[in-house]
Amino acid sequence: MRIFWILLKKELHSFFVSPVAYVVLALVMILNGFAFRAALSVLESAPSEGSIVSWTFHAMWFWLSYFFVFPLLTMRLFAEEKKMGTLETLFTAPVRAWQVVGSKYLAAVIVYCVLWLPSLFNFKFANWISAGQVELPEGAMAGAYLILVVMGMFNLAIGCFASSLTSNQIVAAIISFTLSLMHFLLGIFIMVVGRKISDTIVDVVNYFAATEHIRIFTAGLIDSRPIIYYLSMSLLFLSFTHHVVEFRRWRP
Amino acid sequence: MIDVQELTKQYAGRTAVNNISFQVEPGEIVGFLGPNGAGKSTTMRILSGYMPATSGRAIVAGFDVFHQSIQVRQSVGYMPENAPLYTDMRVKEYLRFRAELKGLSGMTMRRRIGEVMELTGVTEMRKRLIGNLSKGYRQRVALADALVHKPKLLILDEPTNGLDPVQIRHVRDLLRNLKSKHTVLLSTHILNEVEQTCDRVVMIHQGRIRANDTPANLTRQLRSTTLLHLEIDGVGSLVEKLSAITAVRKATEEGLIVHPWRRFTLRVEPDNDVREEVMELALKQKWRIREMHRQLPTLEDVFVELSMNAGTPTDIPTHVL
Repeated sequence: MRIFWILLKKELHSFFVSPVAYVVLALVMILNGFAFRAALSVLESAPSEGSIVSWTFHAMWFWLSYFFVFPLLTMRLFAEEKKMGTLETLFTAPVRAWQVVGSKYLAAVIVYCVLWLPSLFNFKFANWISAGQVELPEGAMAGAYLILVVMGMFNLAIGCFASSLTSNQIVAAIISFTLSLMHFLLGIFIMVVGRKISDTIVDVVNYFAATEHIRIFTAGLIDSRPIIYYLSMSLLFLSFTHHVVEFRRWRP
Repeated sequence: MIDVQELTKQYAGRTAVNNISFQVEPGEIVGFLGPNGAGKSTTMRILSGYMPATSGRAIVAGFDVFHQSIQVRQSVGYMPENAPLYTDMRVKEYLRFRAELKGLSGMTMRRRIGEVMELTGVTEMRKRLIGNLSKGYRQRVALADALVHKPKLLILDEPTNGLDPVQIRHVRDLLRNLKSKHTVLLSTHILNEVEQTCDRVVMIHQGRIRANDTPANLTRQLRSTTLLHLEIDGVGSLVEKLSAITAVRKATEEGLIVHPWRRFTLRVEPDNDVREEVMELALKQKWRIREMHRQLPTLEDVFVELSMNAGTPTDIPTHVL
């Protein structure tokens, strides 16, 4: 466990000394600003059932940030070390593969959580400046941030896996982007063709459609099924990553 | 300290290391010598626990490199080829990170980091970003990293690669000083280095061990001719007369240097010394001699000969200091 913390500290260090974390943070803040503005204008124009929280996470701007964040945060994790040859230095120190995979992943998750902190400020500020006119339903807030974190964990695990496959960061980013996009498009696909196919398929697909999860969680409905789904999928992709990293040791 | 038994490593159909066995005793400095692509790095990676062998067994510091990899890595200080380092860290920061990973902490760690920085000469660079360091300094940082946990065994893959002559001398002195505390296995293709540093040489070519002996014994065993260089002022057919000496295999005239001095090279049968005979001949013929120099076979000759005999002489190093 001691080794794990040392590695985690080092990973966080490399996130914050490189410009990556700041560039991503700036982009996410800008896009969140647009998403927030879009939600405000919805509420301005007409009375609405949805809260500011649910409208913010339904904005196209939010989904834009959703896609580029994961590849950017995870592409360098393993690919860079492979390219530089430092993986060799790392694995000839007394460290285990799970410690390396776990620390890199957790560092990415921590940075990802930090990215969403400014958006919290947007909501609080709107609430304060309007003297409570802009309501912030507690359930919607909790649900929105909970699903953001678990969805993030899932996509970061995919990114981790993609990065472990190659020594080229661009390739890692593209693999991770493609996998995340495919997962997202599944839900969009149902929205488009929803009426033409059987309800069973719609129901099944809705179980893992990101858009559907965002919709119900930002409405303040906390459902345990998506949480378990995302967490178990994260674990699955992390174990894939672990196998890829360990494969070096077992390759005949 | 190291016991390698019938080690083989294959990469996708290519055999990098072919059934090699050798031992290294505690306190020895062993040079691992061979042309590029001979299998040196592969063997070292296996010994340091980075990758497994296809077959065979390797025991390092009493631990099996595959089954007890963590223990092996704790007792080995490994410096990979080209010294890969995290370029976004500062020297001291990096050494601290590595020392922590290897189980050091607190005051002991701080003292030890100071020691190894002093030892490798990077103290004045401790606050610099590794990415901004020259190749020579990076090599030294990597060496400091290998030393930081006082490992019983040091495995250094081309530690002097890319250093300037002064730095090479420095590393060589450093290795000799380490001898009392550590066992060292180092790879190189610079022969001069091995001759001056190592107690024993393991020569490897195309994945097989070609020789395993002390540098002195290897050169002694070499059945190649010694050379005798001469500068003579004389008249007549000197080549013919020089060739007449029994042990001289062949005499060649290299040409006129400054009138009237001419240069000759004699190829002499092994284990023969013809210097006195040449002197007597010169006196008899009234030649004047201003230079006579015997050139003994070097480790380089052994190396080239072994590589040549083994087949295609690829990448024979021409660079000798």
